[in-house]
Amino acid sequence: MKDLNTLVQDLQAAVEGAIEEVVTENTQPPYIIVKKEKIVPVLEYLKKEGFNHLSAVSAVDEPPEKIWVVYHLVAIGEKSTLAVKTVLPRDAAEVDSVGNVYPTALWHEREAYDLMGVKFKGHPDLRRILMPDDWVGHPLRKDYEQIKEYHGIKTD
Amino acid sequence: MDQLTKLFYSLGLSPYYGIFVAAFLLAVIILAFALLYEGVATYVERKVAGDIQSRIGPNRVGPYGTLQWLADGVKLFLKEDFIPAQADKLIFRIAPYFVFVGSFLPFAALPLWDRFVPVPMNIGLLYIIAVTAMVTPGIVLAGWGSNNKWALLGGMRSAAQLISYEVPNAVALLIPVLIAGTLNLDEIVRAQGGGGGILRWFIFHDPFSFMAFFIFFTAGLAECNRTPFDLPEAESELVAGYSVEYSAIRYAFFYMGEYGDMFIISAMASAAFLGGWQLPLIDPLVKIGWLKAVLQLGIFLTKTLLLVLVMMWIRWTFPRLRVDQLMELSWKRLLPIALFLLMGAALWTVVFHGKGIYDLIVG
Amino acid sequence: MGVLDNRLPDNVFFAMADDFVNWSRKNSLWYLLFATACCGIELMHTGGPRFDLDRFGSVFRASPRQSDLMIVAGTITYKMADPVRRLYEQMPEPKWVISMGSCANSGCPFNPHTYSVVKGVDRIIPVDVYIPGCPPPPEALIEGIMKLQRKIEASKVFRK
Repeated sequence: MKDLNTLVQDLQAAVEGAIEEVVTENTQPPYIIVKKEKIVPVLEYLKKEGFNHLSAVSAVDEPPEKIWVVYHLVAIGEKSTLAVKTVLPRDAAEVDSVGNVYPTALWHEREAYDLMGVKFKGHPDLRRILMPDDWVGHPLRKDYEQIKEYHGIKTD
Repeated sequence: MDQLTKLFYSLGLSPYYGIFVAAFLLAVIILAFALLYEGVATYVERKVAGDIQSRIGPNRVGPYGTLQWLADGVKLFLKEDFIPAQADKLIFRIAPYFVFVGSFLPFAALPLWDRFVPVPMNIGLLYIIAVTAMVTPGIVLAGWGSNNKWALLGGMRSAAQLISYEVPNAVALLIPVLIAGTLNLDEIVRAQGGGGGILRWFIFHDPFSFMAFFIFFTAGLAECNRTPFDLPEAESELVAGYSVEYSAIRYAFFYMGEYGDMFIISAMASAAFLGGWQLPLIDPLVKIGWLKAVLQLGIFLTKTLLLVLVMMWIRWTFPRLRVDQLMELSWKRLLPIALFLLMGAALWTVVFHGKGIYDLIVG
Repeated sequence: MGVLDNRLPDNVFFAMADDFVNWSRKNSLWYLLFATACCGIELMHTGGPRFDLDRFGSVFRASPRQSDLMIVAGTITYKMADPVRRLYEQMPEPKWVISMGSCANSGCPFNPHTYSVVKGVDRIIPVDVYIPGCPPPPEALIEGIMKLQRKIEASKVFRK
């Protein structure tokens, strides 16, 4: 497998204008920040280059206007990891689903949708996964307020 | 039944009424016995289970927990009798009675002691096989009427299983019929007496009948839905199978039906293969008529209940089969073996003029 | 039942009938196989060889239609709340509930900072006995069942 700097350069050439920032020093795992429109081709390229496992899709809420979506990639056998980050506007958090690249992402995206309210375009079955289907709100957002009553059960 | 009718006739009751009174009395006695047996069997089952799993089992009610069956029974009797709103109410209601009646009717044709069968009939064996088959529609109806997926799956499994195992069961049972030359259970048992002691029992009559006993017992286990053949109510797959929607006393009927079936299968095995009420030395030593009858009844019940105990032992020892394994065991293993044994037994009867191994060696 | 429930006068005869019925009920508490979290391990353990709930006549039933006792062993989330209520309603009368462990009692380890856990199963169904502990050892569960037996003993069936 290529070393990280060459990989990033090749990526820059393969998917034009995708990378906004690369951080490899003093961070584990090293991460790249990409444009949200380019997330699918970037992950497609990285998968072709040997990152064969997507271990998690997480989301980070950063009020007042940002939500980060982080894709944790692992190259099994190579002992190398890489995080791919993308930033979304908080009030219209929407990004393409990467389910066609890594099928495992479908579950992680449901979880991110359930708890953070990130919508994934092209996801075939975007339902809540942890909370009940008729729950109101996305619990891990910083400004989340619990509903007072659910099906007659007091939640305070 | 005939004796009872005669007794009432001698007491001055007209034969027309006498037969009804006798039938009623007999039914009450058999029902009381069956219910008592089924109650105690549930207690014994739990104690056996406890012993095999190195637990203690029920020990809080009565000495050693012996009244556990009474507590369970009263509780089930007084529980809410629940019928699901979406169920087919008529079918849901009658299904348990099919099962219970199917397991209770054969009691009337068991050979209890010498020349005594509660209801004497020439085709006792056929009658028992026929009426035990009533359990199958009962279970299928329960599965259908509950309007529940698990119950339907359980009922269908049960239909497949009971029909499959009825065949090797009946074929294996034909071998004692072949040897004795009669379907009358009383005569089958009497043919196993005389000199030679237990070697005259049909299980030791020839190699074929010896194997037929085990075929019959295995298929019998499947007929009463006992582990390892308890697929219709498999807890880990079907929650409680066909009885999943049944509560209270209706559920108890299924439960009692299962234990009644166990008794019938064991009683048939002991009557057709293990000499029924025959035991060496009873005939020459005991001369008093009624004492002999009591002893013979005791011997018959002992043999039967020991076989019931073996069934419990098997239940808590073996894991459950898979559905395809179950069907394969019946159609690919038990049935060919049973047919082979039947042919072998027929040949044996022709070649040795119906003599058993003991007769050939001694006489 | 139903027709005779709590209709008859309070006298010696009916008191004996009550005692008999209560005796049978308390010694035949079939519990529902229902475990949602780590308390379930202790529940299985209690039914196993070392502690043996079968001594008290309690065996597990897989179907709620045949159970008398629901042992809520574990955390109940809002998503699980509806199934819990439904299972409870599927059990035929008379029925009892034991809330086993802190999660079922009050949602304790998750209380008050979580968004997904019901803060006490008594917000969903009526509870007879609470067993503290996280998770409670089998001895505690047996103690709870004996408490419930005393409660059943004292209840009135036929009498007013």
